[in-house]
Amino acid sequence: MVEAVGLTKRYGTLEAVRDVSFAVGGGEIVGLLGPNGAGKTTIMKILTCSLFPSQGTARVDGHDVLENPLEVKESVGYLPENAPLYPDLTVREYLSFVAQARGIGKADRANALDRVCSACGLSAVMHRGIGELSKGYRQRTGLAQALVHDPRILILDEPTTGLDPHQIVEIRELIRSLGREKTVILSSHILQEVEATCQRVLILNAGRIVAQGTREEMARGLKGEVLLELTLRPPAGSQGAGGALSAVRGVQRVISEKRNTEGRLVIQLSVDPDSEPEEAVFDWAVGAGMKILSMVPQRLSLEDIFITLTEQGGNR
Amino acid sequence: MKVSIIARRELASAFNSPVAYIVAVAYLVFASSWLFFLNQYFAHNEASLRLYFSVIPVVFVFLVPALTMRSWAEERRMGTLEVLMTLPFREGELVVGKFLGAFCLLAVVVALSIPLPLTLSRLGSFDPGQLVGQYIGVLLIGSAGLSVGLFVSSVSTNQITSFILSGLCLLALTLAGQLPGLLSLPSWLGGLLGFLSFGFHFESFSRGIIDSRDVLYFLLASVLFLYLNMRVLTGRKSS
Repeated sequence: MVEAVGLTKRYGTLEAVRDVSFAVGGGEIVGLLGPNGAGKTTIMKILTCSLFPSQGTARVDGHDVLENPLEVKESVGYLPENAPLYPDLTVREYLSFVAQARGIGKADRANALDRVCSACGLSAVMHRGIGELSKGYRQRTGLAQALVHDPRILILDEPTTGLDPHQIVEIRELIRSLGREKTVILSSHILQEVEATCQRVLILNAGRIVAQGTREEMARGLKGEVLLELTLRPPAGSQGAGGALSAVRGVQRVISEKRNTEGRLVIQLSVDPDSEPEEAVFDWAVGAGMKILSMVPQRLSLEDIFITLTEQGGNR
Repeated sequence: MKVSIIARRELASAFNSPVAYIVAVAYLVFASSWLFFLNQYFAHNEASLRLYFSVIPVVFVFLVPALTMRSWAEERRMGTLEVLMTLPFREGELVVGKFLGAFCLLAVVVALSIPLPLTLSRLGSFDPGQLVGQYIGVLLIGSAGLSVGLFVSSVSTNQITSFILSGLCLLALTLAGQLPGLLSLPSWLGGLLGFLSFGFHFESFSRGIIDSRDVLYFLLASVLFLYLNMRVLTGRKSS
């Protein structure tokens, strides 16, 4: 449905997006995750034809953004960051303008407006001026604007910024239900957001994709990196654990081994969590005369991965 | 029509906010007080509104920027330009739509001044043909002015800058034709300045004469600045 091929965007000398390629299939909800300035918005602007890429191209619903921008615009609904709206218009006037611009005829317009207004919970404020609406209602009006022509593809730039927790839950629920029949690409710099709504995540940093995968793939990737931190009291005269530990079942490698000031051994192991390494490590310790003081599994969260990945590239 | 969708949105915004009303009232108050008080219209004892129309270019130096200052600058500041650019419009349609919206608003404001000649017409023998010529001239110079204003708005970051810059541009365009009379310029330069000047081309219109060269001048000026405006929009995408 959406395919980016080698997208690069330069603003003067600044490379906002560098050689980004990805594909999003029909009915998928994909999250673009990254710190501010990672290039999320630029990618979305390119996909919605409001910016030309400096290099590379993208195809949206089979249409090239450079060659057929009008067709691309027709098949996409876009909610820009902060949901910009005309404060002078009422909600109904605004949505009616968008519906006309989207080529919805007079006969279908009332239906289309009713549909999006009930979907986005706007019916109560239809005739209010946008300028006097709360942030939550504005965000929903922006979302309704993106949905008016029932697009196959939805592109949402930070759809829940500025909302209160209750509204956030509602909007996420709405996005998930939309994702059952539509392709949704949303951006966020909040992990929980992406974890809660998306089936697949692209992590961006400094204009590049630094990691991508489904939540399951990410979770599997994380499992492989589960750490076990051991604190041992070695018997008198012991030289330490040495290589003996790496032979233990379930232990992939010894990451570090240190003796702290109290004479205890602090060892970090990379383990395979599926083979229950804790038991084997315990048996080994007993055999070697070590006393286990603590054994703490340290699971790398998506958050840790995100922070590690995005710090490597350096923040701009 | 896609163009009319944009134009109607512009008008809805203008009439939902105080801008349209302030502009209309300011125009009518100024034009009438100029005619009756500053210029002592009745003392001239002439059945002609030439005096009234000759001041229009100067009035437009303030009026037109007030109508166009928000158009692109405000859309950009609020971010609504982002939405507009992702709706299925071509850049040309956006520009022409905005222009038509502003032009209709200006036409409404100008039309509100029609009762003025109508009431005066009872007092003397006015030439209706002359009046038609004068009003056509007003709409033409208005159209050229609006195009300049829209273009300036498209390159401005906020509406105040846009208002001041387009006011200055229009002032220069309006008065350029009078420079040769004040300074001793070489004749070719004087001729060129006159040719480029709004004031020079409006001169015949203020007497009610429709000269095809003046019509062409204002139409070309409108097209030129609308085209430049469109280039600014397309240029934004690849910037």
